[in-house]
Amino acid sequence: MITIDNLTKYYGNNRAVNHISFTINDNEILGFLGPNGAGKSTTMNMIAGYLPMSDGKVTIYGSDITKEPVKAKKNIGYLPEIPPVYPDMKVKEYLSFCAGLKQVPMGKRKSEIERVMGLLKIKDMEGRLIRNLSKGYKQRVGFAQALLGNPKFLILDEPTVGLDPNQVAEVRAIIKDLKKEHSVIFSSHILSEVSAVCDRVIIINKGEIRAIDTIENLEKSFTASRVLHIKVKGEQDKAASIIGMTDGVTNINSVDSDGDGVYSFTVTLEGDSDKIRDNIMSECISHGLSILEIYTDKPNLESVFIELINRPVKKSGLQELLDETPDESQKTTAEKEEK
Amino acid sequence: MFPIYKKELQSFFYTPFAYAISALFMLLFSLSFSTGIAQIEETNKWAFSFTEMFYSVILYFIFLLPILTMRTFADERKNGTEVLLMTSPVSVAKIVIAKFLANITVYLFMLVGTSFFPIITAMKGEVVVSQLICAYIGIFCWGTMYIAIGMFISALTESAILAAIIGEVVMFALLFIDDFSNTPFISQYPKLQSVIYSFAAQPRFAYFSEGFIRLSDLVFFASAIIVFLAWTYIAIEKRRWNRG
Repeated sequence: MITIDNLTKYYGNNRAVNHISFTINDNEILGFLGPNGAGKSTTMNMIAGYLPMSDGKVTIYGSDITKEPVKAKKNIGYLPEIPPVYPDMKVKEYLSFCAGLKQVPMGKRKSEIERVMGLLKIKDMEGRLIRNLSKGYKQRVGFAQALLGNPKFLILDEPTVGLDPNQVAEVRAIIKDLKKEHSVIFSSHILSEVSAVCDRVIIINKGEIRAIDTIENLEKSFTASRVLHIKVKGEQDKAASIIGMTDGVTNINSVDSDGDGVYSFTVTLEGDSDKIRDNIMSECISHGLSILEIYTDKPNLESVFIELINRPVKKSGLQELLDETPDESQKTTAEKEEK
Repeated sequence: MFPIYKKELQSFFYTPFAYAISALFMLLFSLSFSTGIAQIEETNKWAFSFTEMFYSVILYFIFLLPILTMRTFADERKNGTEVLLMTSPVSVAKIVIAKFLANITVYLFMLVGTSFFPIITAMKGEVVVSQLICAYIGIFCWGTMYIAIGMFISALTESAILAAIIGEVVMFALLFIDDFSNTPFISQYPKLQSVIYSFAAQPRFAYFSEGFIRLSDLVFFASAIIVFLAWTYIAIEKRRWNRG
């Protein structure tokens, strides 16, 4: 198990990551989702032990990354945003260097290299200079490097960027397959990818966690308020009163006239939307209104994502207020110095 | 540690780099060799000595050694491969030492090339072997110190070319420490003069080329190497902390 506790990173006065805490369970794929500049790569660099943290703790299978870096790093396979490849090396040469670096036992090196090359389908490229490979292949070589030595914990920073759709599907399948033996944390800003691969998702923005949950739960928690679109033919007032009176309808958001006595209603629902929809339909029909169209907006990960990202953050905790203060004091002293 | 050492050597020897730099070094060496021979007069047959030649060859180091060390850390940073080294189960100190050893190996390769000249001379004339060995030890110490300095400079920047240029400037400045300490202005303050003079590597090399191996000189070079390697380590760590 990997525990991330209160992880914080300041770049000067700028706080890139703010008190992030979560755990990654064994045999789990955790999606790390956020817009560009949300702090995804910074967090991953800290977990991998490349960047030192300003505050907090990362424990990888019981070893603290700052106190026992060598022991902790033995369990990590890391694919950074830019694949860390040497342009002057051949693919096989590079992988054998990495195997040595990761202290794969001498006898196993050859078979390990063959294994990862087979897994990522780069066997045809083993004699080529990395400099001459396309971006997609470089990415795969970088990925192969992360898998060398079969580390228990894999950190993949946007592993599918720069790949063609075919390769994306392949890489996703590989990641899904990795679940059997590894824990994976995997960042992306492509939502469909995360929902296709991950067990749980962390959504972060501006260095703060907005949500940690399974995709189903996230979607479900946002189904409480759903939007129903209904297009009826008949009198506007009558239709409005029937729809407004139905149980579970909280608000009529808008009414548009489409001409010829056809009106489109947009309605917010609360509760079991299927039942409410049926009620509205039967009421309308019994009052002689004909329904031309009816559908509900199904919230998907995308709308959840957008809502979570844009939701304002409340600063209620004392800790948050305390965190704010050093910033302020530093700013004021800086201003004074300027004067 | 060994894989990094091996990788560094591969990057020198699988490319024309090590051969080109050794060839250039030998070319410069042969130039001073031939001018040395040309100056021999009938009346003064002992005017020519290898150790004196080494002394002039040191000037060329200023141009060659920064080229050797410029890529050490600057390229890792430029390629983004620094992440790979930093996140692998190898400590930063070991990375620094491995790269240092690789650079020294190439440097030894360069020196071995120069042994060609004394060998030829020995076939036709006489070479004072003990003095020659002393000079080699001295030149090895000096070069190793410059390699440590060059690595430190390479760790400070992302551009290999910039590392080479700064390295050349710094090494050039270091070469003139003893001249600087002997200027009339500094001579006014004998204490200051002796402090500055003690940092000069050139007079220490002069002892080696005369056939003396003095403990104080060995300590000087060893401590300079250790200091610069430690600074390299600190520069890399500091860079990680300041990144952003």
